[in-house]
Amino acid sequence: MTGRKIRKLLIANRGEIALRVIRTARAMGIATVAVYSDADRSAAHALAADEAIALGASEPAHSYLNIAAIIRAARASGADAIHPGYGFLSERPEFARAVRDHELIFVGPPAKVMAALGDKVAARRLAVKAGTPVVPGVETGELGAARKFADRAGYPILVKAAAGGGGRGMRVVGEASALEAALVAAAREAQAAFGDGRVFLEKYLARPRHVEIQLLGDRHGEVVAFGERDCSIQRRHQKIIEEAPAPGLAEATRTRMVEAALALARAAGYQNAGTAEFLLDGDEFYFLEVNARLQVEHPVTELRFGRDLVAEQLRIAAGERVGAPPEPRGCAIECRINAEDPEHDFRPATGRVASLTLPAGPGVRVDTHLGVGAEVSPHYDSLAAKLIAYGADREEARARMVAALEEFSLVGIRTTAALLRDVIASEAFARADLSTHFLEEHMPRWRPDDGATRAALIAAALVAEGRLGATRGGESANGAAGGAAKARPSPWTALAGFATGGRR
Amino acid sequence: MRLRRIDGGPACEVEILACDGKSIRVTIDGVEIAGEIEPAADGGAVLRIDGRRTRVAGARARHAIQVAAGPAAFEFVTVEGRVGGAHHGLAAAEVAAPMPGKVLRVLVEEGAVVAHGQGLIVLEAMKMETTIAAESDATVKKIRVSTGDAVDHGQILIEFSPAPANPSAPESPAQGE
Repeated sequence: MTGRKIRKLLIANRGEIALRVIRTARAMGIATVAVYSDADRSAAHALAADEAIALGASEPAHSYLNIAAIIRAARASGADAIHPGYGFLSERPEFARAVRDHELIFVGPPAKVMAALGDKVAARRLAVKAGTPVVPGVETGELGAARKFADRAGYPILVKAAAGGGGRGMRVVGEASALEAALVAAAREAQAAFGDGRVFLEKYLARPRHVEIQLLGDRHGEVVAFGERDCSIQRRHQKIIEEAPAPGLAEATRTRMVEAALALARAAGYQNAGTAEFLLDGDEFYFLEVNARLQVEHPVTELRFGRDLVAEQLRIAAGERVGAPPEPRGCAIECRINAEDPEHDFRPATGRVASLTLPAGPGVRVDTHLGVGAEVSPHYDSLAAKLIAYGADREEARARMVAALEEFSLVGIRTTAALLRDVIASEAFARADLSTHFLEEHMPRWRPDDGATRAALIAAALVAEGRLGATRGGESANGAAGGAAKARPSPWTALAGFATGGRR
Repeated sequence: MRLRRIDGGPACEVEILACDGKSIRVTIDGVEIAGEIEPAADGGAVLRIDGRRTRVAGARARHAIQVAAGPAAFEFVTVEGRVGGAHHGLAAAEVAAPMPGKVLRVLVEEGAVVAHGQGLIVLEAMKMETTIAAESDATVKKIRVSTGDAVDHGQILIEFSPAPANPSAPESPAQGE
């Protein structure tokens, strides 16, 4: 397929990323088509697009994972391109193939490239061939070979699923006697989660950092790198804080890392936006995987390079050449505010937004789909908002992030915002003592501090007496002024608990 | 009133002594606290206590009081004041669902005496099983749900009376909304 202008773009996703893609498309003069599930009928992305088409029931299998329905929506609306966002179908080769089979532009890499990189064992082989360092390991789950490797490399050892992701099918093995059971359990978990029970072994790095390289490749064989991001701070193997540049990374290591990522991308024939992920252990780095899509944390790169990566994706998909990246400047940090309970092992939280205050100010960007009345349902992932702070240096970005998180307030759903505030404000984060074990090391058993709890108790008592906040029924009770100034009901406050198509 | 965080922990006695739109005086578990309060146009307020400024906002949900104190979000339930842990060894007079979900199993019967930490009800929520455990020794007074029920966030699941070793308690119905 040669260059073709994109006139109408369907966004096969929901939430903040769908909204974010719609905004760029609109600024580029491209018409937008949203798709939505039953639960998302009145969601922000469905309302923001020029057109919105229903896909089906709320469960992802019937809606955002329903390839046939999405292709139908594209045909019906006359869209000429599909942006997959992240998650859902974004890394499914069969989706990319279906899109192209219907002569639509897929905003992402070719299906074949995606398939090659999606399998962790195949990607690892490709990396070895391209001369990219990989974590020492063996591509087998066979007990004899596994034992031999583990004895040589030394415990602990990591057992991983070939088709894996998100920590599923992953096991840390501390000693030889536990190896066999771990192989069996990981294979079973991988079979159940991915329908593919193949596992492989890697040496377990005790205290690594997660550093990744942003790549952009065009249809003409050119691939460029937009610097790195440090995404070491994670919970349950998923990132919660990302920043660019990676603090304290030696220039020589950065250069070697970028070159390794470019070599790999060229060897794979990579196109569009992608990310090569590495583990960094001292000055040594090891290839982890390629994410063949836009990453959640792409805004830190955008702020640092002053480029809109979604715009770059759309131009590349239309056949344009990728240009040399501009000189980066400053530092950017992103915090993912998740609808989760940080006091109970980050279990997902659901509910309806009763009130919401979002931060603003110099160097502060907020990407969210939530507003008052919006519902976080159990069907989809827990990302509620991304706060991104930019500064001339890391300290300025960090100070702006602390201030932004302190401005953030959400009533109705528990979030990780207060935990993130404490992490960013911590001395350990300030001196960039980063590793994938940051939370266990520095914030074990996190709880809101006593001052916040005391303020919350007082606020709750005021709410119970009808002197603070808005009630669900729609009656506002702004009576902190002694209960005398009882609500001035207006259509706006009265609508606070109202949402069409909601489940309640 | 007695307030307890929705997923357990100790209950706190909170009394608003005075609140005139500028200053506020409260007691929390008998300790008096004085500060300033400024109402905001959006229904929230700014609290100043001991020199610390906290933006608070809140709303009443069906089974809980939801508040934010700065970026921290909390959910409380009001509990009957007279059956306090101090009096009869009960952490709380009832247990509420910490999240919306489905009752998979009820592990106890009415009248049963349960020990601190004993499993009461298994909930399925967000594709995960969560066992709700007793926070103190108690007698199961009333089970308000049964297997298969869909329960809302904050909904009362079980009411307790004190364990038999303690003196008998006055009637203490939960003060659900």
